[in-house]
Amino acid sequence: MDKLDTWLAAQSSRRRFLGQAALGGAALAAGPALAQSLVDLHLPGGNAGRPMTSAFPGKGSMILQRMHPPLLETPMEVFDRDVFTPNDQFFVRWHWADIPTSIDVDTFRLTVRGHVNRPLSISLAQLLRLPRVEMAAVNQCSGNSRGLFQPRVPGAQWGNGAMGNAKWLGVRLRDILDFAGVKPGAVQVRFGALDQPVVAGAPDFEKALDIDHAHDGEVMIAFGMNGEQLPLLNGFPCRLIVPGWYSTYWVKMLNDIEVLPGPDDEYWMAKAYKIPATPGANVKPGAKDFPTVPINRMIPRSWVTSLGEGQAIAFDQTIPLGGIAMGGDCGVAKVDVSTDGGRTWYHTRLGPDHGKYSFRRWDTQVPLPARGNVRLMSRCWNTAGVAQPMAPIWNPGGFMRGNIETTNITAS
Amino acid sequence: MKVPSIGTLSFGAVGLAALVLIAIGPPGSRVAPPPPAPSGPAPSSVAFGGFTLTSDAVDLPLDDQQYPDGPHADVINANCTSCHSASMALTQPALTADQWKATVTKMKEVYKAPVSEKDIPAIVDYLTALSAKQGSAAPAGKESGSQGAPDASGGTG
Repeated sequence: MDKLDTWLAAQSSRRRFLGQAALGGAALAAGPALAQSLVDLHLPGGNAGRPMTSAFPGKGSMILQRMHPPLLETPMEVFDRDVFTPNDQFFVRWHWADIPTSIDVDTFRLTVRGHVNRPLSISLAQLLRLPRVEMAAVNQCSGNSRGLFQPRVPGAQWGNGAMGNAKWLGVRLRDILDFAGVKPGAVQVRFGALDQPVVAGAPDFEKALDIDHAHDGEVMIAFGMNGEQLPLLNGFPCRLIVPGWYSTYWVKMLNDIEVLPGPDDEYWMAKAYKIPATPGANVKPGAKDFPTVPINRMIPRSWVTSLGEGQAIAFDQTIPLGGIAMGGDCGVAKVDVSTDGGRTWYHTRLGPDHGKYSFRRWDTQVPLPARGNVRLMSRCWNTAGVAQPMAPIWNPGGFMRGNIETTNITAS
Repeated sequence: MKVPSIGTLSFGAVGLAALVLIAIGPPGSRVAPPPPAPSGPAPSSVAFGGFTLTSDAVDLPLDDQQYPDGPHADVINANCTSCHSASMALTQPALTADQWKATVTKMKEVYKAPVSEKDIPAIVDYLTALSAKQGSAAPAGKESGSQGAPDASGGTG
């Protein structure tokens, strides 16, 4: 690792100081612990009640999907407060139960190996001295909203809260790869982490990106999240950030980067997280034996967050309505809303642009058609011209839901 | 209203780092005080450029939830509580016997759960009865059983 050491030595000899990132204080104080209270995720077909929990380290009030290994969902009202999701209410998803509960910043090493000229073992002190980038990006589980699929499918029964948006501070993966010197013929880069299966022989959780993607200058290794170090349950001390791609690639507790001379054919790339190779990852319910590809880029989504499912409000001629949107793999171009089940659509006013991979706030004032039940909808167009479809998709993995969502309220 | 996108806010590229980095005092002068520790030495930390990483140690909550009583509850409690909480199964929608069998088989064959072959029917029976108790909810994709294909579903995401 002569090149990295040389570079770091040159930097420290100048006693350079990186200007402190102007990170917004996005973290909102979490409410008091709501032990034993239940939340209804309104999943079709029922079994939708989940307890709230504040029992996890570094985490405030979260929807408990599974305690072991943790699956914690962010309550929807959190997304109404800020486009940045506070660290202590950012969703949590682990595959294997052997999660290190102690990380020593002095001994942790990030290794870079495989099809490279100079294998590296990078300490956190070194990582902190590399050129920094900061980016706002949505981290969304591949199976976010799986519980809304009809017919229902097995898997973690998430509502819409297996997602979050943060300002990620870290270093470019490209810079790390350049220090290591990728050899000609590299095809993919595989990412491994400290968590391990609890039983021998089970497939270790590893994910891979094509070399060109890994080297695009956007993929980063983050040690900062909304101005703080990552909560352990969100991947302390560092995790991969793959802007515009689903969270399965955002490997937490990243400690191993392996450049491969061929495609990764291990379980988590070759067998799991595969979607139908069809438009919108959509197949007829019950379909089988269709060609598949690894899940990849995200698609536009939007939600009403100023009112919740089932909420009762006083009738008025017009009401304020607000929410969030994401463009997926590009920015948000516009968001329209409807209060009559999709017949009439109204424009909204977009909030500040924090970058194309961030959540974007939208707000408007809309008429109510009549007293009684009101079906609120929002529809996002991204900057590539892709709009949310009205019809939901189906696939057996419950991946990539992105249709227009409906929030039912009562105005009386 | 389109604002120029600032998707990447760069504080410096490799080639330009020296221009972007601003010289001030030694990094140590910028170390934030570690959080107060009730006992023992403060956790170690590394800091540079205005950012500090502090060693972390946590206790994760233990889950003692068992599967509800019913035929073969003892079998599922013995087999299906060490790798994951019971809630993983208890939060599933109503699934068919074929779907549950595919899921249990995947746990054993793909995820290497130490479940003996002879226990699988009892586990599947327990889970199928659980789904039946969910009432009028229609079984998911009952015509297919395709969700059982371990290469396409479940346990991920």
